[in-house]
Amino acid sequence: MTTTVVAIDTATDAIVVALARLEDCELTMLADVCEIAPRLANSRVLCSVSERLIESGLRPADVDVVVVGRGPGSFTGVRIGVAAAKGFAHGLGIALAGVSTLDAIAWRNSGTDGLVGVLVDAMRKEVYPALYRVSDGHVERLTPQCVMGPATVAEEWAEAIDEPVTLVGSGLRSYADVFAGALGSRAVIAAQELWWPSGEGLLRAFIALPDDERQGFAPGVVLPIYTRLSDAEEAERLREKPAVDGGLS
Amino acid sequence: MSDVRVHSAAAMQELGAELASVLRSGDVVLLSGDLGAGKTQLTKGIGRGLGVSESITSPTFNIALIHDGRMRLKHMDLYRLESVRDLEDIDYFGLLESDGVSVVEWGDRFPEAFPSDGVQLALTITGDDVRDVSFKSLGPRGEQILVALLAGCATLRDHGIETDVNGGTR
Repeated sequence: MTTTVVAIDTATDAIVVALARLEDCELTMLADVCEIAPRLANSRVLCSVSERLIESGLRPADVDVVVVGRGPGSFTGVRIGVAAAKGFAHGLGIALAGVSTLDAIAWRNSGTDGLVGVLVDAMRKEVYPALYRVSDGHVERLTPQCVMGPATVAEEWAEAIDEPVTLVGSGLRSYADVFAGALGSRAVIAAQELWWPSGEGLLRAFIALPDDERQGFAPGVVLPIYTRLSDAEEAERLREKPAVDGGLS
Repeated sequence: MSDVRVHSAAAMQELGAELASVLRSGDVVLLSGDLGAGKTQLTKGIGRGLGVSESITSPTFNIALIHDGRMRLKHMDLYRLESVRDLEDIDYFGLLESDGVSVVEWGDRFPEAFPSDGVQLALTITGDDVRDVSFKSLGPRGEQILVALLAGCATLRDHGIETDVNGGTR
């Protein structure tokens, strides 16, 4: 069975929109656009979907499933991408599937076997790191998705890795030196155009999902991956608690 | 202790323009002070100094306004935000780290969300038209800005900006 898929990711500075045909696990990209446009996702992403459909001679009703990068990434970017994907899927009455933005970046860099380290800028002097093993065109995530200081990540990786690791992601704009310093000659910094997710990366990550997740969900069920929100909520809970228990009022 | 005393709204704008002349892209200025203390006047001066031609008004209602000039001015106001979590809703940290200068009114509202560097200006009403302004740096870049700003202010006595206030010892 052939399905037509729209893929969207706006978790980074890139607005990624792609259109593809999927026959079992055979992927044919019809359009795959990655536009670096910081802070313009809200005004650009749905126009881009529309342009991709028109260029391919398709109508929205021809789309069978939507795939969205759920983050982690820019808090606002993640929400714009997920909200746009939900709205599009809901309007068409079709399923929505979510993949990790970090996974999509790793899949984009799955051409050669070895380790891939993804580092997406989380702002406030932190990154979203994830380490992957690429082998025979398959990508396996070795670390949980989290938010951390770049120096801590570099230290942990330097400890754990004794082979070359290809580094990608927007976090390298500020922290390439930190990783080059800690990893020495093991650090291989990829060309900058490979630092962002691509439609093909999103779809490869989608194909690799477990069967039940690959069916997609009702759009309302798919949630963003924040990783930091729980920290913020925790901090707030701790901050608010004394006001409740402290009897100061 | 205050760093400068400002003798009119026009002088507050001069202070802003002087501050703008030492700012560069990525810098953050937090402003605090009661209603009417001159935060928006100061920001108007910063806007003038950055080459912003459109008029600058208080962003209390809009929360964040972006003005393009020679350098972009991101003018924010945290007064209406209720919790630190609301900062994510306005993409506060994304805005701070994007191109241009950030000026944040009521910028001391959430101490846990202070930027890692920049300057903080506290405005106090000390007379009908008189305002005292105290400076605080939040990091090494903030220190640089303040050194340059104080040196600049020392030349602005004729514009209503006084630098030796309360035996200020910087």
